[in-house]
Amino acid sequence: MSQVNEMQAQLRKVAAELLENDTVGYIIGWGATRFPDRTTPVFIHEAKDADKLMWNEYCVNGLAKYVLDDKIKAKKIGICIRGCDSRAINRLIIDNQIKRENVYLIGLPCEGKADKIKCGKCAHKNPVIHDVLIGDLVAETPVTDRFKAVEDQEKLTSDEKHAYWKGVYDKCIRCFACRNVCPVCSCKECFADQYRVGWQGKQNNSTENWNYGLTRSYHVGDRCVECGECERVCPMDLPLMLQNRKMLKDINELFGDYECGLSEEDRAPILGDYDLSDRDEFM
Amino acid sequence: MLLDKKRLKEALAILSRDAKVLVPMEVDGVAKFTPWDGQKLPSLDMINTTLPPKDALFPQTEKMYNFTTGPNAQIAEVQGTEKQVLFGVRSCDARSIDCMDKAFLTGTFGDSFYSKKRENLTIIAVGCVKTGPFCFCDSMGLDPSSAPNADVQLADLGDAYAVTAQTERGTAVLDQWKSLLTEGEGDAPKPKCVLQVSVPEDFPKKLMGMFEHPIWDEVSKPCLGCGTCTYVCPTCYCFDINAEKHGHEGTEFRCWDSCMFSDYARMAGGHNPRPSKKERVRNRYLHKLAYFHEQHGQLLCVGCGRCVQKCPSNMDITRFIDMAGEAMNNG
Amino acid sequence: MGDDHVCTYDKNPLIPQVCKIIFIEQETPDVKTFRFQTLDGKKPFAPLPGQLGMLSLLGTGEAMFSITSQGEDYIEISIKRCGLLTEALHEAEVGQLVGLRGPYGNHFPLKEAEGLDLLFVGGGIALAPLRPFINYVKANREKFKHVDILYGSRSPEDLVFKRELFEAWPTMPDTNMHVTVDKGAAGYEGNVGFVPTYMEELAFSPEGKMVVLCGPPIMIKFCLQALFRMGFSKEQVITTLEMRMKCGIGKCGRCNIGSKYVCVDGPVFSMAEIDELPDEK
Repeated sequence: MSQVNEMQAQLRKVAAELLENDTVGYIIGWGATRFPDRTTPVFIHEAKDADKLMWNEYCVNGLAKYVLDDKIKAKKIGICIRGCDSRAINRLIIDNQIKRENVYLIGLPCEGKADKIKCGKCAHKNPVIHDVLIGDLVAETPVTDRFKAVEDQEKLTSDEKHAYWKGVYDKCIRCFACRNVCPVCSCKECFADQYRVGWQGKQNNSTENWNYGLTRSYHVGDRCVECGECERVCPMDLPLMLQNRKMLKDINELFGDYECGLSEEDRAPILGDYDLSDRDEFM
Repeated sequence: MLLDKKRLKEALAILSRDAKVLVPMEVDGVAKFTPWDGQKLPSLDMINTTLPPKDALFPQTEKMYNFTTGPNAQIAEVQGTEKQVLFGVRSCDARSIDCMDKAFLTGTFGDSFYSKKRENLTIIAVGCVKTGPFCFCDSMGLDPSSAPNADVQLADLGDAYAVTAQTERGTAVLDQWKSLLTEGEGDAPKPKCVLQVSVPEDFPKKLMGMFEHPIWDEVSKPCLGCGTCTYVCPTCYCFDINAEKHGHEGTEFRCWDSCMFSDYARMAGGHNPRPSKKERVRNRYLHKLAYFHEQHGQLLCVGCGRCVQKCPSNMDITRFIDMAGEAMNNG
Repeated sequence: MGDDHVCTYDKNPLIPQVCKIIFIEQETPDVKTFRFQTLDGKKPFAPLPGQLGMLSLLGTGEAMFSITSQGEDYIEISIKRCGLLTEALHEAEVGQLVGLRGPYGNHFPLKEAEGLDLLFVGGGIALAPLRPFINYVKANREKFKHVDILYGSRSPEDLVFKRELFEAWPTMPDTNMHVTVDKGAAGYEGNVGFVPTYMEELAFSPEGKMVVLCGPPIMIKFCLQALFRMGFSKEQVITTLEMRMKCGIGKCGRCNIGSKYVCVDGPVFSMAEIDELPDEK
C-alpha cells in the first residue's frame, strides 16, 4: 500500500472515531467526483460516511474558507488541513473570524498536489498547527524563488508594467472566484459589492476590473497565506499570485521577514500594527 | 456541397466583406469567439471555447442609453448594430442561442437590444468529430454533430466540410460561397458523449416538487458563491442595469450578473429572499432544469460542460441531475 | 391574475423618458408623494390600478414603485425613505427631471371584483398600491357593492393620504372607513390597535367579498390568519408581492419566485396563486 493510500485509510479511521465519539459535529475534507483526476469538498456528518473522504494528489482545493459558513456551531468543526490550509486557519483565528476551540484540525502533511502552479512555491508542506496528524511529517524544501517573478516584473518600465497589467485586466470577467475562494477574504460586506455609481463600477472594462483586482490585492495584503487558490480558480488564468507576492515582497522589505499564519499567536497583523520604528520616509 | 478545408480562409474572407466574423480562437491564453483577423485559421479543433459565444448577442457590458442630468436632462438610446457571423459554433452553443431567443424574444415584452443583434446574426455551426471529457450534450437531447437552429451546418469530412444550408440566411451564405463549393457529400463522424447523464421522464416537473428536499443542503455546500458557472455558461442571461457618470453626463448600461452573488436579489430594505448559498444554488439549478422548462418547454442547460470544468469547487450539474433522479426514484 | 397585460409604452421598454416633478407632498415624516409629467405636459403613461413604474434619478439609480394615482396629465408615486435612491429622491425638488418607464406588471382584478363587496386592508406605505384601486371603485361606484377600507399605521403622523382617508373616501356611498394606529398620540381620537386585531373586532363576513390586502409581511401574515378564522378562503384574498427588480420586462432574472416573474406575472396575485409558488419571498 502506498504511503498516500495508508494516509487515506488512517484519515478515514480517525474521522470515523472523531464523529463516533462526538468530538466533532462534522468533518470538512475532500471527496470523489465523477472524474478520477478531481476531488470536491465534502462535509461528512456520520461515521459511516467517513469512507467518502479522499486523500490523493488531486486534493487540491483549499478548505479553510468553509469553516466560515457555519455561524452557529453546536459542535466543533473537524477540518482536513495541509500546510496552506493550516496557515489560513491561523490567520482566521488571529482575525477573530473563528475561535481555536471551535475547530478540530486534522493535519495532513502534503508533498504537493497535481496543480504544480499552486504548489510550486510551497514553503510549508506540513500543517503548522493541528490537533491530530495523519501520516508522518515530510521534509520541507526551502523556496529560493519566492519573489523571482516579482523581481523580474520590477525590472520592467512603468509603461511595460502598465501594458502587462492592462492585458491581465482586459481578460478579467469579474466572476469574483478569486475573492470568494480566498480563505482570508472574510469581510461580510465587500467593497466590490458597493455598486453605487462612482464606486466600484459593475461595467466590465479593464479600468473597473483593475480597480477591483488591485484593491482586493491591497486589502488581502499581509493576510495572504500564499495558498495560490485565487490563481488556481481563475477561469481566465490571470497571474494573481504575482500581484499578491509583490505585496508580500514589499512587506518583507519594509517590515522584515514575514510569512502569514505560521502560528496562531502570530505577530500582530503587520499592516494593522503601528510601531515607532516603522519606516516613514513618505511623510 | 463540399468546402475544401484549403479554401476556408477564402470562405471567411467572403463573409468578412459585409459582416464581423467571430471565430473560435485562443487570444492571450483565453479561448473565445473573437473577430477573425483575416490571417490565422480558426481553432476548429478545440472542443469548446472557455467563454461561450453569448457575448455576440448579449455583451458582458452593453450600453443602453446616454444621459445628461440637470435642468436640461436628456436620454438618448444607444443605436447601431452591425452584421455578425458566428462561425464554427458547436451544437451546444447553437442551442444556447435558441434558449436565449426564447428568453429575450418571447413574453409580454421583447428585448430590442437583443433582437436587433439577433436579426443581424448568421450562425454557422460545425459538427463535433470528438467530444471532450466534460461534454454531455446528447444527454440534454442534443446531437453533437448537428445544430438544427444554425443557418449553415458544416460537417467535418477530414479534408473538406460538407456544407448544408438550413435557413434562407444559410442559403444566402452558400450563394456567397458559390465559387468555392464543389458537388459532393460524405459521412461525417457521429460522436457520442462519454459523460452520460440519465434524465428521468418528467424530470423538470418532478424537480419542481423537490423544492424543500434536503438535496439542496447537500449539493450547495461546496459552492463559494462566485459567478464562474454563470459567466462561462452559454445560456445564463441574467443581467444588472447600472450607470457610469462623469459630471453631468453618463451612460446607462446593462451587464452580466449572477444569481450566485449574495447581493443579487437583496432588496433596498435589506431583505434577501435568497439569503444563503442553498437558496441561490437551488434557484440556479431549478431555473436551468425546471423553471425555464415550464416557461419555454425546454431545458436551459445544453450540456456544454463549461460549468463542470471551471467550477472552483468542482461542483457538477451532471452529478446533481443523477442525484436528483435517484431521489425521485426513491420516493 | 386574469386580465391581460397592458403595455401602453410603444418604445424600447428599457429606455426611460425624461419627466418632470411637478408637485411634491410630504405625507408623513418619511413618505413623500411625487407627481410626474412629461416635458410636453402629458401623462407619462396610463397605468391600471396595481401597475408599476420604473423611476430613475439619472446616474444615481433606478427602482420600481407602484403607481399610486394618476390625473389627466400626470402620474403619482409615493416613496418611503429607506435606501440610497429613495434618500436622494426625498432631496428632490419640484422642477427636477427624472427618468420614468412603464407601466409594468399586471393589475388588480377590476372585472372580477365587479358585483362583489370589497374589503381593502392596508398597512403603512402599502396603502399606495391600494389607492388607485379604491379611487377606481369611487369613480365606478355603481359596479361594486359594499366597500370597507381598513387602514393602519404605526402612529397618527404615519397615516398616508389623509385627505382621502378622512375626506374623500368616507363620503363614498355605502362605504365604511376603519382607521387604526399601533400607538396613539395627543389629539388622535380614532382606534388604537394592530390591523389584524382590529379586523377581527370588526368581524367581516366572507359572503360575496373580495379582500385586497397590502402591507408589511408580518401584517399580511397575521391578517391572513384572522381572515381564515373568519371563514375567508385564500381564493378571496388578493395581494401584491415585492421583489428586487431591475429590468421590469421579465428578462433580468432577479424577481422570480419559482417560474413566475413578479415584474410581469405580478405584482398582483391571489393568495391561492401564491400558495402554488415555492416559499421564497
